[in-house]
Amino acid sequence: MKSFLKAICIGAILVALYIPLTVKLQEQRKLFLDTDFIAYTLPSTLIAPLSLEFKGVTADFLLFKFMTFIGGRIQELPNFTDLHWDYLEDTLDIITDLDPYYFDAYQYSQIFLAWDAGRPESANRLLEKAMENVPDNYRFPYYIGFNYYYFIKDNQKASEYFMKASKLPDSPYWLASWAARLSVFSFEHRAGIMFLEDMISQTRDERIKKYFQKRLTALQILSYLENKVDAYKEQYGKMPASLDDLVSSGIIKEIPEDPYGGKFILLSNGRVYTTSKMLEQQ
Amino acid sequence: MILVRIWSVAVLTYKEGIRDRALHGIGLLALFMLLATLLATQLFGYDIGKVTVDLTLSTIGLAGLLMTFFININLIAKDIDKRTIYCVLSKPISRSQYVLGKYIGLALLITVSLTCLIAFSSVVAYLCKASYAEAYFKDFSWTCYYQACGYELLMLLLLNGFVLFYSSITSSSFLTMLFAVSTYIVGQTIEEIVVFFQKEAETIGFSSPLIQHTVETFQYILPNLSAFDIKTMASHGKLMTMSHTVFLVGYSVAYTALLLYMAILIFKRREFN
Repeated sequence: MKSFLKAICIGAILVALYIPLTVKLQEQRKLFLDTDFIAYTLPSTLIAPLSLEFKGVTADFLLFKFMTFIGGRIQELPNFTDLHWDYLEDTLDIITDLDPYYFDAYQYSQIFLAWDAGRPESANRLLEKAMENVPDNYRFPYYIGFNYYYFIKDNQKASEYFMKASKLPDSPYWLASWAARLSVFSFEHRAGIMFLEDMISQTRDERIKKYFQKRLTALQILSYLENKVDAYKEQYGKMPASLDDLVSSGIIKEIPEDPYGGKFILLSNGRVYTTSKMLEQQ
Repeated sequence: MILVRIWSVAVLTYKEGIRDRALHGIGLLALFMLLATLLATQLFGYDIGKVTVDLTLSTIGLAGLLMTFFININLIAKDIDKRTIYCVLSKPISRSQYVLGKYIGLALLITVSLTCLIAFSSVVAYLCKASYAEAYFKDFSWTCYYQACGYELLMLLLLNGFVLFYSSITSSSFLTMLFAVSTYIVGQTIEEIVVFFQKEAETIGFSSPLIQHTVETFQYILPNLSAFDIKTMASHGKLMTMSHTVFLVGYSVAYTALLLYMAILIFKRREFN
């Protein structure tokens, strides 16, 4: 009985010591993970042999890490430094070296490197890898073409890739006509809207969906306002001085709110611009 | 008569293996990992079919490796450690029949265990497939899945040939495991190392011809186990060609036969104290 009580007491003391310490450690880890991250990746020439016959699972694990890294910081994406983006770009590169057919990894390179990191060239480099390994998927040349058009502003290259995409199985019927209409003014927002709608339909991740839905809404408003500016021009034979003229003339009831918290401004060339630049306002 | 003797050793080995508690532990771990696949696939965006195949096939591969390294090696070493080999060899069974019987027993154990896991993993894959939209499994193919399982089984059978070969040269189960694990690691990486050296030589002319020739020679001596790993291809619904499969089966049968022959030669000359 005595030894039993002794064992219980020692056990209780050890558990009592363990619980606060493990809670404290969790807090410390959270602090560490929030402020620091291990910004290095091993080259695929090393990871591939180290993965032995488990390369597919290693690629899955790295993609999962990529997702948790981004997912936990999705509101902070505009504040990411080059160090963050270098790390993420390297990770995607390694994943696609381990599994060169991995659609998700290529998709994420388009979603994050092109749209958020402002690195359309890097996204295109990975997407070229995708085109080489999965030559019959129209999305990869479509994404590259989109990046050339929307971000790099190279219509000739964009048209070239849209044409390539339009010849592949299951490509949407409008791709070929896109290739020919790239220089049409005000086409830019519509292209962005269609692109984002397609991206949203491709992902199951609710956080990413929500993130892109917001951007889609902003683009839809920009496109809507530019159409209304055109309607004003047609009606009055001149450009409105500001977006308020659209309201005072009764063409629109009110200027919609920017989901990013910025203000819509009419530029002298008839384009509408937002002061938020479609980035989260601090 | 010879076949009956070999078969009786094989059945004995198999029965001893199937009773091993470690096998039950590995089986439970594998079943748990396969069930975890159902949850893990929820974490991925689009290529869910690919992730399902990756996880289930890797679990099967891992279970096969654990069985080889922790059960099969012991099954052979135990005979010598516990001196039960005297009882067997005092019977009208030759040493070569003993070695062949042992190998068939190990092969039977691996085949039966893996078949059970493959059947269970098929149910898991089927459940995953049924719970998501068709688009997420558009590259999924049962033919590719079972082809990858078959390749994995072939690799394990060859690896078990090595286990038997190493057991014939050393009586220490630890050394056998060390050699077998090393062979597995080298076998899985040798192809990539050769490609790496070839690329180095092509691009910067860095590699010395001596190193390159040595590595290339080793490629022919050591088993190319990475040729058996087609999980990535299977996860994207890419079937290996018939010629690749035929040559791979031929390669593994020839290699295993050679290993068993050498094991028999060494075993015949061995003295048990």
